[in-house]
Amino acid sequence: MPTSEPSTIRDLPMSAGQPSTVGEAPMPSGEPNPIHEALTQAISEHKVILFMKGTPEAPACGFSARTVAALQALDVPFAAVDILPDPRIRQELSAISNWPTIPQLFANGELVGGCDIVTEMYESGELSEALQ
Amino acid sequence: MPSPDEIKQRIEAAIPGAQAEVEDYAGGGDHFRATVTAEAFAGRSRIEQHRLVYEIFGKEIGGPIHALSLKTQTPQKTPTQ
Repeated sequence: MPTSEPSTIRDLPMSAGQPSTVGEAPMPSGEPNPIHEALTQAISEHKVILFMKGTPEAPACGFSARTVAALQALDVPFAAVDILPDPRIRQELSAISNWPTIPQLFANGELVGGCDIVTEMYESGELSEALQ
Repeated sequence: MPSPDEIKQRIEAAIPGAQAEVEDYAGGGDHFRATVTAEAFAGRSRIEQHRLVYEIFGKEIGGPIHALSLKTQTPQKTPTQ
């Protein structure tokens, strides 16, 4: 384990080491897992947090872009984490959320949904309530 | 590479009574959109409904199935609110 593992949300997207192959075996359980811990901490510390491909300014995927657009249309402040720099972020995130795809929107520590659910909730007017 | 028809059949086989419509909306064989109607969704949150479908494909989601956009509903009504 490198000693420079990310420990804060700010470090997460910046910590791109050598990206390993997507789909590699997860880390052995039972060992301290800094990415897992940083993710759970970020989810608990931010009222609304979006894990996405790219950034809100430059989304790298149409689904992420659509989810950002829904949040921006509601003028909801949110933290955003780019999962692309290190494939382990996505792996650990999906392990935490039991949700396979990106983006993933969390509010008050709970998974709200991915692009489809967020879009549906935006269109039905439920989203702003869910993000209170 | 799964076909829309294969995805439809797997959803319908895995969720009793489900009816699925699946399209390859980008035409590239890896971005799919599915509307799934099933009584099994009744009483479940949207997240739980989508998980039921995602679980059928496991690690294929994000792999050979790059995207599976979902709309889930129960038979009586329009998409679950």
